[in-house]
Amino acid sequence: MMPTQLVENGSSTNILSVANMPVLWACALGVFAVIILQSVIYIRAARKAAPAAGITGAELRTSFRSGAVAAIGPSLAVVLVAIALLALFGTPAVLVRIGLIGSAAYETGAANIAATTMGATLGDATYTQQVFAVAFFAMSIGGAMWMLTTLIATPLLKRGEHKLAKVNPLIMTVVPAAALLAAFISIGIGEIPKSSAHLITLITAGVVMALCLFLAKRLNRVWLREWGLGFAIVAALFVAYAAHTAGLGPVA
Amino acid sequence: MTTLSPAQATADLAEFDRTTSRWGRLTMIAGLIISVAGPLYLVLFRNLGITSTQLWTAVAAVLGTFFVIWLVEPITYFPILGPAAMYQAFMIGNISNKLLPSVLVAQTSIGARPGTERGNFAAIMAICGAAAVHLLSLLVFVGILGTWLISVVPAGVTDVARIYVLPAVMGAIIVQAIISMKQLRPTLIAFAVVLLVQFVLLPLVPGLAMVSTAISVIGTIIIAWFARKEVQPAA
Repeated sequence: MMPTQLVENGSSTNILSVANMPVLWACALGVFAVIILQSVIYIRAARKAAPAAGITGAELRTSFRSGAVAAIGPSLAVVLVAIALLALFGTPAVLVRIGLIGSAAYETGAANIAATTMGATLGDATYTQQVFAVAFFAMSIGGAMWMLTTLIATPLLKRGEHKLAKVNPLIMTVVPAAALLAAFISIGIGEIPKSSAHLITLITAGVVMALCLFLAKRLNRVWLREWGLGFAIVAALFVAYAAHTAGLGPVA
Repeated sequence: MTTLSPAQATADLAEFDRTTSRWGRLTMIAGLIISVAGPLYLVLFRNLGITSTQLWTAVAAVLGTFFVIWLVEPITYFPILGPAAMYQAFMIGNISNKLLPSVLVAQTSIGARPGTERGNFAAIMAICGAAAVHLLSLLVFVGILGTWLISVVPAGVTDVARIYVLPAVMGAIIVQAIISMKQLRPTLIAFAVVLLVQFVLLPLVPGLAMVSTAISVIGTIIIAWFARKEVQPAA
C-alpha cells in the first residue's frame, strides 16, 4: 500500500462525487424550506396572538431584529467551521448536519464513531464512499433522535415542567457533563495514536481555543468566544499542513 | 392596539398554542424525514455495497455515545425557550452558541422574562430572526462560496483538511467543554476512564474498539455519579 494515499484515486475514495449529488442537495434545500415555512407560520401566529400575550407589534419586530443581529456573529462563526468540514462531508451534508440540525462537535464525533465501527478512519485512504454513506446515515439518525426526543418531551414538559425540575438537580448537571466530557475526550484521545501530526493538531486546537476563551474573558470580548472554535480549527489545520508536509503524518 | 377581555385573551393564547404545537410538530417531523431521506437514498439506491449489519452497528455505537445528551438537552432548554420555540430550536440547531444568545438579547431588549408569555413570544421572534440570518449566510457562504472554494483549492490542502479536521475540532471542543462545564471531578474521571479504556482495555480486547467511546461515556457517568460532591447545606 502506498504511504498515505492522498490523491483521490478511483471511484471508491472519491467522496465528493457522492456527497455532492443532486438528490442530497435537494434534501438539504428541503430542510431549509421547512425551516422557512415554520418561521412564517410562527410569525403569523405570534402576530395574531400578540395582544393576548401582552406584547406589542413593535416589540415583536424588535425581538426579530435583535435576534437576527445577535445571530450574525455566531452564524459567520458556524460558516467558518462548516467550510473547514466541506472536504470531509461535501456541501449538502455540511449544510444540514453542521449548519443546521446538529453542530460540528456532535456530527464529526458521530461520523468518527460510525467510521470506526467499519474499521475506517475519517479522511484517509480507508474513508470510502461506503464509509461516508454509513457515517452520514449514522449522523442523520443521531440528529433525528434529538428531534424525536423534542417531539416526545415537549408536550410532557408542558404538562408537568415542575415535576421534572424536582428530580435531583445533580442528575441534570453531573450526568450530562460526564457524558459530554467522556464522549469528546474519548474521540480526541483516539486521534493521538494515528500519527504525530494528529497529536500536534489536537494540541494546537486546544491551545488556540484556550487562548481565545482566556482573552474573551480577560478583555471581555464575547465575539472571541463565539469565534474560538473556528479560529482553533483553522489554526490547527495550518499547523497540520506544516506537520503533514514535514512527514509527520500517518503511514498507511 | 385594542384591549382584550380576559376570556378573549385566553382563547387567543389557546389558539396560538394549538397552531404552534400542531405546525411546530408537523414541520419538525417533515424536517426529520427529509434530513434522513438523503443518507437513506445513498444507502438504499446507490449500490455502495452497504450491509444492514454495518449500518445498524454504526447507529448503535452513535446511540450508545450520545443518548444521554439527547435526553437531557430538550429538558435543559425548555424553561428558556418555551414549548413553541422548542420545535424551532432543535431543527435549526446550534442552540447554545447561536439561538440562546439571540433569545436572551431579544428578551432583554424588550424587558421580557424567560418563562412568561412575553418571554416566549420574544424567543419565537428572535429565533425566526436568527434563522433568517443563519439560512442566508449558510446558503451564500457555505453553499455557494464554500462549494466554489473547495473546487479551486489545491487537492493537497483539502486532503489535509479532510485528514486532520477531526482532531482539530475535538482539541478545541474538549477545551471548551472543560472550561464551560467547570466540573473538575467529572473532567478528571472522564480522562481517567478514557485512558483506561483506550490504553488498557482496548489492547486486551481489541474487538471493543467500535464501542470504546460508548463504554467510556457510560463508565464515566456511573463513576461520576457515585463520586459526586454532595451539596452541603449552608450551616
